[in-house]
Amino acid sequence: MIEVKQLEIGYKKGKHPVSVFSNMNMNLNAGDLVGLMGDNGIGKSTFLKTITGNLEPLSGDIILNGINLRQYSAQQLAQQLSVVVTEKIGGFNLTVWDVVASGRTPYINIFGKLSEDDEAIVIKALKQLNLLPLKDKLIDELSDGQRQKVMIAKSLAQQTPVIVLDEPTAFLDHTSRHHLFNVLKQLCTEQGKLIIVSSHDLELMKSYITRSVTMAEGNQLEVL
Amino acid sequence: MTKKHFITITVGLLLFALALIACDLCFGSVNLFSLDSSDPLFRTILYDIRLPKTLTAVIAGSGLALCGLLMQSLFRNPLAGPYVLGVSSGASLFVAIATMLISSVNISGHYFMGKSVVTLFSIGGAFFVTLVILMVARKNKNNVTLLLVGLMLGQVLGALQGVIEFISSADNLKTFILWGMGSVGSTTRNDIWFMLPVYLSAIIASFFLVRSLNAILLNDQYAQNLGIDVGRLRLIIIVISAVLVGIITAYCGPIAFVGISVPIASRLFFKTSHHLHQIVFCLLLGACVVLIADVICQLVSNQLMLPINTVTTLIGSPVVIWLLFKSKLNAG
Repeated sequence: MIEVKQLEIGYKKGKHPVSVFSNMNMNLNAGDLVGLMGDNGIGKSTFLKTITGNLEPLSGDIILNGINLRQYSAQQLAQQLSVVVTEKIGGFNLTVWDVVASGRTPYINIFGKLSEDDEAIVIKALKQLNLLPLKDKLIDELSDGQRQKVMIAKSLAQQTPVIVLDEPTAFLDHTSRHHLFNVLKQLCTEQGKLIIVSSHDLELMKSYITRSVTMAEGNQLEVL
Repeated sequence: MTKKHFITITVGLLLFALALIACDLCFGSVNLFSLDSSDPLFRTILYDIRLPKTLTAVIAGSGLALCGLLMQSLFRNPLAGPYVLGVSSGASLFVAIATMLISSVNISGHYFMGKSVVTLFSIGGAFFVTLVILMVARKNKNNVTLLLVGLMLGQVLGALQGVIEFISSADNLKTFILWGMGSVGSTTRNDIWFMLPVYLSAIIASFFLVRSLNAILLNDQYAQNLGIDVGRLRLIIIVISAVLVGIITAYCGPIAFVGISVPIASRLFFKTSHHLHQIVFCLLLGACVVLIADVICQLVSNQLMLPINTVTTLIGSPVVIWLLFKSKLNAG
């Protein structure tokens, strides 16, 4: 599903590229729950931003479903790949429904009108994560665990075969962390989604993931 | 928000705005009801003075409220607005420069030449400040820092305007001071024809941004991942805001607090984040606020008009103070 070939990731400082990690190669398949591991600052978030199209690769290729990531339009990519990031969202009267419904953005018209089918998909996503009773609640009124579930529901409503989560357990307590990983595992096994997740909680992650990608000093990459 | 709820609020606001338009047309130093409708004086007062003034109030109120809404969504900051972030000050400074240039090259007698230069300068000033604020916002995501930078920028631009006023002729200085107080009463019918296409284009363009604006409320990364070209969206919002603030400031002077307080009030009253609803509500509510301000200005004294800025500040600043104590919105 995702093939990474001779990938070099990094960012540009002015006009100069700054390499963070290079020589990355891997094949990730549908149904995999992939744990991305590595020390702080090693480039996990940069890697996730690169494979989701938020950052340009410095060199190399990312092939998603047989097509190079560069060849996807923004809208096409949004129908293939969704993200859940660490940064909290809120304010502006955003309700649980609004956020989950935003997952339909790549499919709706410019006026943001949801069709009946879109609404059905949003309701299904809310039900899958037991969020339907909270649909009219403001995001600001939710616990951190509930917020993460809302963002995952948004990804489900986006109906992408690939979901990428950057540090989704950062603000969660022990019980919520286990609950979150159970949900992710269920999505991989039952819906065949490829989920890539980074976390500092290695012990927890290792008990759920089916594949691991470990980034270490000196561009050492271990893919199991 | 249900469709029925949206239509009910829209119709309610529309009727309220129409009632205010009628009030604004009726109030003034001359009692229109004492004149015969066939009297040339009646027609002059109604069509050449009051109608342009009322339409200017509608354009200024709804235009500034729309700018405020776009800026608050773009910066994801409920404290953003053209006046608070110094955009109006940028437009004002450039209008002052344009006024000096016009008087020095003596083109003030040519209607379109004079107005065009002032308007273009005003738009340029608004555009420049919006770009600076955007650069600051990208470097520093703290709401309070952005607000303080905007306020400081406004002070610096105000000081520069003070220098220009200091070296201006007595006539120009008088023009600056009166214009700086803000007024919707100095426009003519020709001015309305000049403003209307820009104003309507900006509104139509904003409706085409609804889906993108809804997505950007999450954050830039989410919006990008939802298929939105965030860079393009930013540029379009800057252009719309700069053009609207520029043209309104050129004709009405800097009008305070409408841009920031109307979107806040709209969110607090109508409890929706959907921009299709918010754009409609802000346009109508913004028009109502400036019409109310204009009616109050005339009620205070029939002979001497109170500056509209005084009234919008008295209405708008308590809303902003209230907001600062509402941590829920401040977290936006």
